[in-house]
Amino acid sequence: MQLSLPKQLDTKTVLRYLGASGWTPDDAMAQLFTKAETDLRAAATPRGIWRQLPLSALPLDTAGTDLARHLAGCNGMVLMAATLGSGVDAALRRLCLQDIALGAVADAMASVLLEQVCDALEAAIRTEITGQGLYMTGRYSPGYGDCPLTLQKDLCLALDTVRGIGVCLTPDCLMTPRKSVTAILGIAAHPVTGARAGCATCALRQTCAYRKKGTTCAM
Amino acid sequence: MQCNELFDRRQFVFLDGAMGTQLTARGLQPGQMPELAALTCPEILTAIHRDYANAGADLLLANTFGANPRKLAGTGHTVEEVITASIACARTAAGQTGSLVALDIGPIGELLAPAGSLAFEDAVTQFAQMVEAGTNAGADLVFLETMTDLYELKAGILAAKEHSNLPVFASMSFEANGRTFTGCTVESFAATAVGLGVDAIGINCSLGPAEILPLIQRLCRLVPAGLPVFVKANAGLPNPDGSYNLTPADFAQEMLAYLPTGISMAGGCCGTTPQTIRLLRQAFAGHTPAQKIPLRRSVLCTPVRCVEVDGITVVGERINPTGKKRLQQALRTGDTAYPASQAVAQAEVGAQVLDVNVGLPGIDEAATLEHLVRELQSITDLPLQLDSSNPEALARALRIYNGKPIVNSVNGEQKTLDAILPLCKKYGAAVVGLTMDEHGIPKTAAERVAIARHITGEAGRYGIPPEDVYIDCLTLTASAQQEGAAETLKALTICKRELGVRTVLGVSNISFGLPCRGYLNATFLTMAMAAGLDLAIINPNTPDMMGAVRAFRVLTGSDRGSTDYIRAYADVQIQTTQTVKTATVATSAQPEGEHTLADAVRCGLKAEARAAAKAALANTAPLDLVNQVLIPALDAVGNGFEKGSIFLPQLLQSASAAQAAFEEVKSAIAASGTQGESRGRIVIATVKGDVHDIGKNIVRVILENYGYEVIDLGRDVPPETVVETVRRTGAPLVGLSALMTTTVPAMQDTIAALHAAGLPCQVMVGGAVLTPDYARQIGADFYAKDAKAAADIAKQVFHT
Repeated sequence: MQLSLPKQLDTKTVLRYLGASGWTPDDAMAQLFTKAETDLRAAATPRGIWRQLPLSALPLDTAGTDLARHLAGCNGMVLMAATLGSGVDAALRRLCLQDIALGAVADAMASVLLEQVCDALEAAIRTEITGQGLYMTGRYSPGYGDCPLTLQKDLCLALDTVRGIGVCLTPDCLMTPRKSVTAILGIAAHPVTGARAGCATCALRQTCAYRKKGTTCAM
Repeated sequence: MQCNELFDRRQFVFLDGAMGTQLTARGLQPGQMPELAALTCPEILTAIHRDYANAGADLLLANTFGANPRKLAGTGHTVEEVITASIACARTAAGQTGSLVALDIGPIGELLAPAGSLAFEDAVTQFAQMVEAGTNAGADLVFLETMTDLYELKAGILAAKEHSNLPVFASMSFEANGRTFTGCTVESFAATAVGLGVDAIGINCSLGPAEILPLIQRLCRLVPAGLPVFVKANAGLPNPDGSYNLTPADFAQEMLAYLPTGISMAGGCCGTTPQTIRLLRQAFAGHTPAQKIPLRRSVLCTPVRCVEVDGITVVGERINPTGKKRLQQALRTGDTAYPASQAVAQAEVGAQVLDVNVGLPGIDEAATLEHLVRELQSITDLPLQLDSSNPEALARALRIYNGKPIVNSVNGEQKTLDAILPLCKKYGAAVVGLTMDEHGIPKTAAERVAIARHITGEAGRYGIPPEDVYIDCLTLTASAQQEGAAETLKALTICKRELGVRTVLGVSNISFGLPCRGYLNATFLTMAMAAGLDLAIINPNTPDMMGAVRAFRVLTGSDRGSTDYIRAYADVQIQTTQTVKTATVATSAQPEGEHTLADAVRCGLKAEARAAAKAALANTAPLDLVNQVLIPALDAVGNGFEKGSIFLPQLLQSASAAQAAFEEVKSAIAASGTQGESRGRIVIATVKGDVHDIGKNIVRVILENYGYEVIDLGRDVPPETVVETVRRTGAPLVGLSALMTTTVPAMQDTIAALHAAGLPCQVMVGGAVLTPDYARQIGADFYAKDAKAAADIAKQVFHT
């Protein structure tokens, strides 16, 4: 299904992704932000797809302990995928060439826009699931913690993302278009919160700039 | 039914309906591969085909949609095995009714580069394997369907044409906005598929009959009258659970609206059943396909942009090394970023098509043109004019071109026509014909028209229609042949009127050797436009030329309401001062210029940095400017970043400003004719399997700003390519990036391959998941935590 872009871009998070939390952009940077946002909005064709499925729809026994913890107590799940579309990839290639600062800003901005699109889609799904008298966890994506990226293959097949929203996998299980997200949300008859992967099994635990500052990326 | 009856458009031909839906209904479990049905449950598959045949389907699509090497990998079955068995099932079912059987081919399931990482030729090879298997198994035709990527469709059509003699059907899936997932328009689909010579064209899947209808109406106008158009719609739009709402009766009812469109074949896609086809056939009974009334248009396209050449159209001429030292240098060193930035700049100022010429003595034109076209089509959506007379270069560029390009050029010489026109035909390109031949450029208009007539005739003989022929009556230099201008325009008008072709001129040649060339160029352009010029090959960065084009569009009524004109000029003030050359004083000699440059870089002001560099270069040697001004400024910014007083966006703005200044330095070096002294050569790449390259791109800009010659191999780069490039260039330093833990092994493999090849280079690595320890473990010499660190490492390696 076609989704819409958020009316208001979360600029604070864009700055955070750029490693510039708390910085107030100067005029030149503000102009760069405007140009990046205009171009991205023109290039984006946000789409999403989701299915409510039994847990057996994915090979969860080989998908790591972090995802298992996330789905603890759940007896069903929602699989979802969203993308900004391949036009954004093309725009990012062009912007990087035009101006590296513009390219980097736009790249971070596209990630934030996608995150916001996912939030909106998740909210719509939650309304649907809550309407069934059920409870749902937050999003968990392959590659978090010890959950293997290869789970993408099963997830994308189960959603038929290729036909549904044009999201394909490379042989190394990376999604194309690049600004795409897949996620697993647990469903239960009782309140569930899920569990984030946490730092213990994170691939970035040794280099993470947030951890050095004593925070986490979830904060 | 006989195969030729499919194409005569006398009767409606009925196609079958959904396969997946039927397999699921008959017990296929989620997770089971539908493509294997011919091996696991042939009786069920045959029964489904039989139901469709009995319902009146004249053409059965074998269950081979995803039977490609990629999807079958790991199933223990070969493409040949699956396709042979699947076609056998359809053939058995068709036995009683005499229905035809198609080899059905869907998308491979992986995006092609540059959107994804599948190489174009790999896609062709995968499709070719299917086509050969299908041909050997006795398929009546090849049916490419549900395509959303025009590039993949092209790979499929080429594979079908090169590996069989079977008719080819081509179908794409659109969203309600008339674009596929990858942004391809109905117009670009039609232009490209027709150009590549498909035997029938259609739309399937994604939408129901009501939503596809306006798209089919467009498609029917866009293709030749004799080319059959088909439709296979879904049973309405899908519900969240994947089911469909439209009943067979409703579907048949909605399909009645297609009768006047000109389609001659119809079936169903997802959610349709044998009953759907039965009722569709009943609904269409007594009707015959309507006449199609095609628009004869001249179009050039990329997937997302279809340029109709109807009135003056601007071809940007900047990517042509003749007389452009900076571009020559870039082409010689394999730097595609510079020509690519020229492409983007020309698009920004109003170019609609881009000329691409890489002809330089001593350069491998074929390889260079192919490579550059690949790069250009990844960053611009403007159609390209492939400017070469080298058949090998054209063949390679045409093959990998995504859309419908124009070839520049052929001339009246038979040898050229016979070498190049078949290539244009095969790859569906339009062509420029120069009105000259082995005897040179004729003086009179009549003689040039005669050559144009010959070229148009020969094009027709090779199957290229007049609307795809663009005649160039040749601009002669006014300073040498003053009467030539009038003859050129006279010939142009006659060609357009009498031959039904489009016209093209390289405009700027008119003024060669005369002062204030802009006056002559703009005036000649205006005269040519009035004479009927369609394609103007000009420098779109020249305000006067674009002004003439936009004004002409206003005055001829093609810019309705002067909208485009106002958009372009509402905020512009024309400078009318003329400066006498000898009176210009070098105002740039003062030392403040250098301060300004350093400040501009520190503050990240791009335009100011460029201007300051230009001014400073008037009295500073390029390398001195780099060493004494640019690098200290970058160091200051870099140190601020390291200390945390400057944020990444600011660092990048400074880098961008320095890059603009550096571009001036490079131009100055190129113009001086000397070989720019590089501070050292560095090969960088994002390793195989990884598509995240923003970090690598930042590193490239920073290293270039420090004066290093950076050979950027891009992303998803195999180890062999890195090894080969280092061997060829002798680069002492290699930079590798990887974002994902899963692609770090590829980094390790690349380092191992460099070592195994015995190359005396050092390797620095970077990327989110790397650590100094990890870098050491995989055999890297340096760990670069960011772009600043990469520049420091380069200094260390090159002792600069």
